[in-house]
Amino acid sequence: MKLTKGRHLTACIAASVMVLFLALLLAGCGLQSKTITSPDQLNDPGVTIGVVTDTSDGMVVEKEFPKANIEYFRGEMNGFVSVSQGKIDAFVFSKITMNAAIRAGLKGVKILDEPVGEPNRGAVVISDAAKIPGLEDKVNEFIDEIKADGTLDDMKERWIVNADETMPDIKLPETSDIHLVVGTTGTNVPFTYYKGTELAGYDIELAYRFASWLGATIEFKVYDYDGIIAASDNGEIDCIFADFFITPERAEAVSFSQPTSIEEVGIMVRDGASAGTADSIRNSFERTFIRENRWKLFVSGIVTTLVITSLSVLLGTFLGFFVYMLCRKGNRFANKIAAFCIWLIQGMPVVVLLMIMYYVVFSGSGLSGASVSIIGFTLIFAAEVFNMLKGGTGAVDIGQTEAAYSLGYTDLEAFFRIVLPQAMPHFMPGYKAQITALMKATAVVGYLAVQDLTKMGDLVRSRTYEAFFPLIAVAIIYFILAAILKRIVGRIEIKVDPRQRPAGEILKGIEKHD
Amino acid sequence: MIELIHLEKKYENATPLKDVNAVINDGDVISVIGPSGTGKSTLIRCINLLERPTGGKILLDGEEISAPSYPAEKARRKMGMVFQSFNLFGHLTVIENLMVPQVDILKRSKQEAYDTGVRLLNRVGLAGRELRYPDQLSGGQKQRVAIARTLAMDPEVILLDEPTSALDPTMVGEVQSVIRDLTGTGKTMMIVTHEMNFARAICNRVFYMDQGGIYEDGSPEQIFDNPQGELTKRFIKKLKIQEFDIDSTEFDFAAANAEIDKYCLQNDVPPRTKYRIRLAFEELVQQLLIPVLKRTAVHVTVEYSPVEKQATVTASYGGERFDPAEGGNELSYNVLKSSVEDLSYEYDLNEEKSNIVNLVIKESKYM
Repeated sequence: MKLTKGRHLTACIAASVMVLFLALLLAGCGLQSKTITSPDQLNDPGVTIGVVTDTSDGMVVEKEFPKANIEYFRGEMNGFVSVSQGKIDAFVFSKITMNAAIRAGLKGVKILDEPVGEPNRGAVVISDAAKIPGLEDKVNEFIDEIKADGTLDDMKERWIVNADETMPDIKLPETSDIHLVVGTTGTNVPFTYYKGTELAGYDIELAYRFASWLGATIEFKVYDYDGIIAASDNGEIDCIFADFFITPERAEAVSFSQPTSIEEVGIMVRDGASAGTADSIRNSFERTFIRENRWKLFVSGIVTTLVITSLSVLLGTFLGFFVYMLCRKGNRFANKIAAFCIWLIQGMPVVVLLMIMYYVVFSGSGLSGASVSIIGFTLIFAAEVFNMLKGGTGAVDIGQTEAAYSLGYTDLEAFFRIVLPQAMPHFMPGYKAQITALMKATAVVGYLAVQDLTKMGDLVRSRTYEAFFPLIAVAIIYFILAAILKRIVGRIEIKVDPRQRPAGEILKGIEKHD
Repeated sequence: MIELIHLEKKYENATPLKDVNAVINDGDVISVIGPSGTGKSTLIRCINLLERPTGGKILLDGEEISAPSYPAEKARRKMGMVFQSFNLFGHLTVIENLMVPQVDILKRSKQEAYDTGVRLLNRVGLAGRELRYPDQLSGGQKQRVAIARTLAMDPEVILLDEPTSALDPTMVGEVQSVIRDLTGTGKTMMIVTHEMNFARAICNRVFYMDQGGIYEDGSPEQIFDNPQGELTKRFIKKLKIQEFDIDSTEFDFAAANAEIDKYCLQNDVPPRTKYRIRLAFEELVQQLLIPVLKRTAVHVTVEYSPVEKQATVTASYGGERFDPAEGGNELSYNVLKSSVEDLSYEYDLNEEKSNIVNLVIKESKYM
């Protein structure tokens, strides 16, 4: 690409904006907060304490520190990072997980010695719609057995006390009549997390042992916190092995097994002494991409994002085109239906549409999250294509169609030979922009247990406890993917514009006689 | 042969064609004339099935092409259509505009289509413009390409819908001469036009359309020189004489000028003569008569005679004797006098409008 003056200017502006953005980000890290050394300091209106949504920690904090402000987080990882960056003063969560985070490299925080409230009890969640009969009893029976024979204590010793990350080799049958589908979050060290590209942790080992005990084959599905309960409700998964704490509220909605872990609740606060200097970029890069071959996670995320994007674009283009062809001649019935569908599709947030499709429309159909995502984005893209075609062909003068008719073209011939080639240059710029927009919109598929680029970034972030580097890395990868897609479509854009044909091709193969 | 039997076209708010009956023989060249809004364009668009008739029948060589089951494209392949707005395919070059339909519809080879295309471009005087795009051509050139495109399809009938109406006046001539050239080929033609002299020169038959049908159907001599119907007579007279009734200083002279322009265009008045008519009209009425006469009505006629090559502007008004030579604006009178070949004033008490000013403008031999 040549850097013309105008482009140069745009590049300069873009660079300045980026620098400003980074400066703000770093400034945010330096926010000063109080130094807290004992729980007594927390009961103060000037203090903000973070907890994870939907746990009993919130109630504990309300009871113990009634004057403090409470901030809710989806998942503990963002809460830990907020403490380390000084955005909040303290975070209340299970001590085991917080210790694991510090071991994994979380800087600038410490855990107060004093526990708060009652310990949390982690357990297995059993779906009421599980396909294996009597599953709840079986889980409890299994837990009784491993408690009795010391296996559970051994697991605790290895994963929690010694932080030994080795997954033991557990024999599972090659084939079996019983197939156990396990939901997990993959973002909670040392219970469920990605070690390299493989799931590992206390709960993961527990799930493998249970499958082995059952004589079942096993399949893991990874969800966000927001999606996992819904997936359990409608039978997408048989059970959840993700160290879910038993709370009275949750117990009303789902069935818990007996506890598999008892965890003291602790308080994480900012610790100026251990903050040290920020990690060097090289260090962050090593931890984000190199360690445990984490780049493989990114590669598989990129592939997933690209597959969902390109299939949705292709199918959406066909579908939008097909619907447009039905509506083209002004058939009132077809137009009404199309208008209604587009109104419905475009009227709600993408994530809501996808969740409805996954958990309501296609629930129990056995379609994977990726397939449902492709169907959802196909519909979304088809709606865009329909509107673009309508606008693009509308911009072609009716006289063009009449002239084609008068020469003897049929209606369809006139459309394909005369109208469409002239409409293409009108809507290609919009089409190009929509493809990029679609790719960015696919970042929400994590809700449907699809591990796309964004989700992979989250998984890595949950291991490195770094907000900055993985996020920026993911952003840069999206930029690069968008640039590549734009390039490809740009080529097509030139190809389909009849006015851009080289003059030599127009009369190719014709003998001239001048 | 095309037969129109009780043809009717109804829209929700209007019925441009109530009952049209005609037989168009092979080789006929028909001019369709009439006041605006009388369904001239609707008629030829119906024949080409671009508008579906709401009643009656159209037979093409005995086949009922207006039947809903009859494939429109089959009928249209026998008929070419030239549009007011050219409608060249904007994404194709000139030569492709001619070639693509031949290849797509007549299944000719590309080479054959190219040869035909080049031959026809030569015929309409556009050799060498093959690789231009339509938007690189002038209006007149576009219309000539459009005519060549129509001819390339070898139609039996050519329909022309106001082919020169959208053109700049300087380009009307080139398109008219191409159309005139077509009439020598013996193809059946039907042309909707406002240029009466052109219409008269090329056709062997005229349809005067009014009141939702073909009001009078006759030879050009009959229609233009000796019309039979009352409405035809009025239309033809109006074509030949432009009349104005001016009764106040608020009269819209800009609109009057536009009327004069239109009259001049219809009657092939040379541009220089047209400007002289406008100047004389303005000086006489706006500067000399109205300021003096105030609210007295002035009747003005403008008439052009192609035989004598001269225009006459006559203003008549009632009231007391008033000769613009005496007591009018002297400067305007002198301008007027020097700009016309003859200026006369009469006072006739027997007439209702007793004062008559007569101006004669002759075409200068230097033109």
